[in-house]
Amino acid sequence: MDKKRVAFFSIFLFLAVNVFSLSNAIEGYYGHEDERVYGGVIVALISTLLATTAFFIWRKAEYKK
Amino acid sequence: MSDDKKQNHHEDDKDMIKLIDNLNRKDDVHLNRRAFLKASFGATVAIGLATTPFGIFTFLRDENGEVKRVEITDIEDLAVGESRNFNYPTKNEPAILVRTPEDKFVAYNNKCTHLQCPVFYEHKENVLLCPCHKGYFNVDSGQPMAGPPQRELPKILLEIKDGKVFAVGREVRHG
Repeated sequence: MDKKRVAFFSIFLFLAVNVFSLSNAIEGYYGHEDERVYGGVIVALISTLLATTAFFIWRKAEYKK
Repeated sequence: MSDDKKQNHHEDDKDMIKLIDNLNRKDDVHLNRRAFLKASFGATVAIGLATTPFGIFTFLRDENGEVKRVEITDIEDLAVGESRNFNYPTKNEPAILVRTPEDKFVAYNNKCTHLQCPVFYEHKENVLLCPCHKGYFNVDSGQPMAGPPQRELPKILLEIKDGKVFAVGREVRHG
């Protein structure tokens, strides 16, 4: 599978990871489980960073002349 | 039918045609593969960043929320099979201390996790009962046994020292 396709599909994977992390963070916040909240936030921020990288890789390949 | 009315009917028809004209099939092209990926990426970033306020508020809550040590009662003042209400960790959060038939002290916040009605100790059945909708909680674990509640009662951590019972912390999710 080429780089562009991997970048394309990984964004959907990171979307799923972020949805899961947000739900964990909310449950942890209302359940006063601090470690769960911090875990959710860290995973979501790393996932967002990786999604951004993947998006730029995809954009570079997609709009290449 | 008068001429005015005929004209009105004619204008209504024109309006309907305008509505149909708004459905331009060329607009569909705007949602193509690229736009779909960009929208998905935007959603990923938005959802990812939406977690940060929860982290910040948890951090701020930790700074303010020092663990309190509160005296509830003397052991002698609470007979086996009896309960006593108190407030912990703040005055707005009611709680119940139970001395079970096994001579064990347990305490929970006694707002029902269904609709926040007060929960009472039923000595005969040895359960915690929410009378509003007949929610039953296990007195040893605080877990829901029957009725509408789905979540456990927050558990108050206890310490027994010098013949007195102290509340020393709380676990909202446990078991």
